[in-house]
Amino acid sequence: MDAQKTSNDRTSAEARPSVKPDSVPYATWFGALWRYPRAARGWLVAPAVLVLFALLPLIYDQLFGFSSGFELHRVTLIGIFVLAALAQNILTGYAAQPSLGNAAFFGVGGYMLAWLTNDLNQPYWVGIVVAMLVSAVLGVIVGGPALRISGAYLAIATLGLVLLTGSLLNLWDTTAGRQSYDLNTLPPFLTDDHTLYFTVFAVVAVVLFAMYHLLKSRVGRAWIAIRDSESAAAAFGINVTSYKLLAFVVSAILTGLAGALYATWAATATSSMSSPDQTIAFLTMIVIGGQGSIAGSILGAIFVGFLPLLLGQLPSPLILGPVQIQVSTLTTGVYGLLLLLALIFFPTGLSSLIDRGKTLGRHLVQRGGQP
Amino acid sequence: MLAILQVTLAGLVTGSLYGLLALGIVLVYRTTGILNFAYGTMAAICACFMYILLTGPQLNFWLALALTLLFALLLGMVLERGFARPVLEAPVFTRAIATLALALVLQTIAQQIWPQLASPVHFPTPFEGHAVRIAGLFFSLADATVLTVTILLMVALSFFLTRTRLGIAMRATADGLSAARLMGIPVGRIFLLAWSLSALIAALTGVLLASEQTIIDIQFMDPVLLLAFVGAVLGGLDSLPGALVGGLLIGVADNFLALALAGRSIGVLNVSDPAIREAVIFGGFILVLLLRPQGLLGRAVLRRV
Repeated sequence: MDAQKTSNDRTSAEARPSVKPDSVPYATWFGALWRYPRAARGWLVAPAVLVLFALLPLIYDQLFGFSSGFELHRVTLIGIFVLAALAQNILTGYAAQPSLGNAAFFGVGGYMLAWLTNDLNQPYWVGIVVAMLVSAVLGVIVGGPALRISGAYLAIATLGLVLLTGSLLNLWDTTAGRQSYDLNTLPPFLTDDHTLYFTVFAVVAVVLFAMYHLLKSRVGRAWIAIRDSESAAAAFGINVTSYKLLAFVVSAILTGLAGALYATWAATATSSMSSPDQTIAFLTMIVIGGQGSIAGSILGAIFVGFLPLLLGQLPSPLILGPVQIQVSTLTTGVYGLLLLLALIFFPTGLSSLIDRGKTLGRHLVQRGGQP
Repeated sequence: MLAILQVTLAGLVTGSLYGLLALGIVLVYRTTGILNFAYGTMAAICACFMYILLTGPQLNFWLALALTLLFALLLGMVLERGFARPVLEAPVFTRAIATLALALVLQTIAQQIWPQLASPVHFPTPFEGHAVRIAGLFFSLADATVLTVTILLMVALSFFLTRTRLGIAMRATADGLSAARLMGIPVGRIFLLAWSLSALIAALTGVLLASEQTIIDIQFMDPVLLLAFVGAVLGGLDSLPGALVGGLLIGVADNFLALALAGRSIGVLNVSDPAIREAVIFGGFILVLLLRPQGLLGRAVLRRV
């Protein structure tokens, strides 16, 4: 999962202590667990997490009762953000393309779904497929020029793309005489909070499974090679052009899917889905979560998803001495501030804490309980 | 014919504004390597500060302008020490994200401090209502001011950069940081100077734009910033006169497109909407970048591998 980890063999050789079994603290289940090779541990963790998330609605019903639907709605949003964060991570964390343009795919995905289900009266799944296809095409259109443009110029061009897409989507709305594109013809299993949660959760599980294997495969390794040194990768015979393009297309498809799901979640698509604010939200997810790992995307999405909840706990208006702050308007500003602070003080993100925890765990086992 | 001349003139005026912004962007980028996406917000804050001075204590326009320029210098220095220094070591993309985040933070702070500027308000200037007709061309006092200030600023800047020690030191830092350090140039002070100078240019541009439009709010520079970046990149991100030329080109192109598309529509789509113009200009911009990745006047960069 992590881009920086080395092969499995070294880890399991170190975990098997060369001393007699008696000196390892069997009393601790922790020690016993760490004796198994990493692949086996993965087989325990993933189903456990799946079961936890499947049971979440029941847990929430117990905890929140009446408002469990609302809280579940928020967790669904986090699931959608996981997709978007994963897409951004693939593009900037793995393939190292400084592209700020994912919000454009986000908006286009949402609007395509709205257009197909509302105006063209297609079934929901057709809308999703078309949203993903259009995003893929857009990904090719953006990725093509991106091969020749690099660095600062690419950042500017993709940011311009986001602003432009926002204006064009807004123009579409204005021409059609509406403020935002409402999704009126959603099937009933998508309007109920509980079933929507399960649907999104299933989609996220499938995508995570697929992406995990994609990143572990030749494609993922090619992306890491390109990130580390493009010319070295080319010298090894990796077709840099096609892998870069692939990164754009995969990222676009995932973000388009996330956009379509977001429009389903909010039952509306607005042109602010393609705006610098949205870009900053995506970037905050990967910077705070940690670039270049699936765990980082998940952590970042959880953080960004729960932030409005935390801000909502503050009293509004917040009074600091002579200054009155309207907390409700602060959300995007706080994202910006956190992103800034994270970039300066904590650029490796939360997933680096997990890595440090794992290293500590390994040391604890090897030295028989002494850190 | 007259319409074309009028549009060219208008294009030169708006182009000068884009060019000035592009100048400030390229100045900071060449010296410190930071792409300042927060530039529009900086300009907007300085212009809003001037609005507050003009409407609160009701100061004289020129006194308010002087105070605003001072405020801009201070803002530039604070941003350089507080923001630019810590991110200097980071890779290009991280710095770009950081300035984007900075823009958001500055905008939020401005919205909290000056809630009266959340919606557009009138910006009082002594240039209002005065205009001349020269040979059938309509020329307002604000237009003349914009052009005059741009020309004066370009002359002053080129004099500063070529004839003064500090200016030459700045160019040296832009050309090679480590070499400049070895020559004994106080690089930290040069960075401070670059940011303060660009903040000054931003404040001037903000005030000029507000005088042109006579309307101001906190986000009034946002639509201008993208075109300024396009102009900067077109001119080549490492060339100061290129930035101005790029901005002028974009201004003229924008106005000509407005003339060409005015009042037309394809079916139910109103083609004269600014979004369509933006799309066309952006498309042209990508095309130029594809054909000439270093911009029109930039130097082709050789990368060591």
